[in-house]
Amino acid sequence: MKKALALTLGIVTSIGGFLDMGALATSAQAGASYRFQLLWTIGLATLLVIFLVEMSGRFAAATRKALPDAIREHFGFTFWLVPFFVLSLSHLLVLGTEIGGICFALHLVSGLPTSFWALPVGVLLVTFLWRSTFNTIEDSTSLLGLITLAFVVAAVSHHPPMKDLLAGFVPTLTAEEPLKYWGIAVSIVGAVLSPYLFYFYSSGAVEDDWDSSFIGVNRGIAALGMGFGSVVAMGALVVAAMVLAPRGIAMDDYHQAALMLTDAFPFWGFLLFAVGLGVACLAASLEVALSMAYATAQTFGWNWGESLDPREDARFGAVYTGAIALSSLIILVGVDPLKLTLLAMATEAAVLPFVALPFLILMNDRKLLKEHANGWISNTVAVIVLLLALVLTVVSIPLALLGGGG
Amino acid sequence: MKKLDLTRDLLDMQVVGRDGTKMGRVDGLILELRGDLPPRVDAIEMGFAVLARRMGPRAERWLAKLRRWSVRRTASQRVPWSKVKAIEPHHIQIDLDALETPAFAWEIWLRDHFVAPIEGKREKSG
Repeated sequence: MKKALALTLGIVTSIGGFLDMGALATSAQAGASYRFQLLWTIGLATLLVIFLVEMSGRFAAATRKALPDAIREHFGFTFWLVPFFVLSLSHLLVLGTEIGGICFALHLVSGLPTSFWALPVGVLLVTFLWRSTFNTIEDSTSLLGLITLAFVVAAVSHHPPMKDLLAGFVPTLTAEEPLKYWGIAVSIVGAVLSPYLFYFYSSGAVEDDWDSSFIGVNRGIAALGMGFGSVVAMGALVVAAMVLAPRGIAMDDYHQAALMLTDAFPFWGFLLFAVGLGVACLAASLEVALSMAYATAQTFGWNWGESLDPREDARFGAVYTGAIALSSLIILVGVDPLKLTLLAMATEAAVLPFVALPFLILMNDRKLLKEHANGWISNTVAVIVLLLALVLTVVSIPLALLGGGG
Repeated sequence: MKKLDLTRDLLDMQVVGRDGTKMGRVDGLILELRGDLPPRVDAIEMGFAVLARRMGPRAERWLAKLRRWSVRRTASQRVPWSKVKAIEPHHIQIDLDALETPAFAWEIWLRDHFVAPIEGKREKSG
């Protein structure tokens, strides 16, 4: 039973990958501009992220170590310093977009400006992290996250044409405005393959005290958890394709997305969208803030653990508190969360190869993992991710500026 | 005789104190040169000053400037090899109480100035 409940870790992690500000925005944008044509990018990202999450969980279960910990230990401080610095910057920007997402959801409901909510949301997040254990966070956010299934219900109720929908899983190589098309494709994969997912998931597995008996369960958790997020993201794409595309709304502004659910749920649609977005961004904020604290504490060897009293790991608590304060500040000064998303995704893409390469090497270390080291299938996927990460790094910034994002 | 690879098995490893508290990492190693005899590990070093030195002389100077505002008495700490109790696959066990070492100066400062004032109330009510 304890092992079945471990699924909550998968769902929480998945929310950070698929249902955060960046991934929801890009999925909706994809549907609004290209109908079902970009469904394959969510499919591809899902497949890759399942494998990577499975690997990071397997690593934690077999070695009882989380990834940042192992990277510092095996590659040394001088290797890790620059990626760690860029990663922290990226964490702060992503956290800013998620906090911005919560504030935007509150703005939709209340009518008060987005920046007004920055401080209350920051205080709420810090209080929640201080007071709760890791288990409370897992259980509450994965339960609340179920509300995002409204996107899937809405997608089904629109009766999307099955033939077009299935055709969307085959990559289209000739699309209108190819620059924009590939810009969105890159953004979707980049938004899902976030380094913090793997840090959070592996640290979470250590917090939940996984040992090697969890390696089998871990596979199912990775597939089901990531599958959950993926289905919701696809739901958002389909709804955008059915509702926004025919009206020629291209989603330049998040306000336009807010009306996505009103066709399926005339009365509740607007509120459902706001609550769904707010909950998804709330879970993602907690995940990113914790991931930053995990990475920092493990890099320097401090005591860490969300289930410890803040008195026992004051520095760990100080990291997430400081991160939330800084990121709330970005929203407080009035930066548009959607614009921030693009910048955040570009920094994530930039740091991905530095995370993926040591990961691949560690997963093949038989002295460390023994019989749980990577087989050829996992290695093939990891190499694909590494190559893709290099491409993303090179193209994400210009494409984000020229195409999809702009 | 068991062999130890200094950079692989010792440098950057997690250091764990007497009561299991994680107290830092092996940021540096001090070797003692003993004339004609092979050098011997004298102590392990921990702390930001040690890390800054690994990054280069410029980083070390910057840190020295920053340290004027630091609450810590020292930015580095040497643990004599005699205090190293065991070298485990994933951590190094040392025979010191984490809380009494300079490694915890920041932790204690944060706890006293930052956590305690906010958390104090809860302790009384709960």
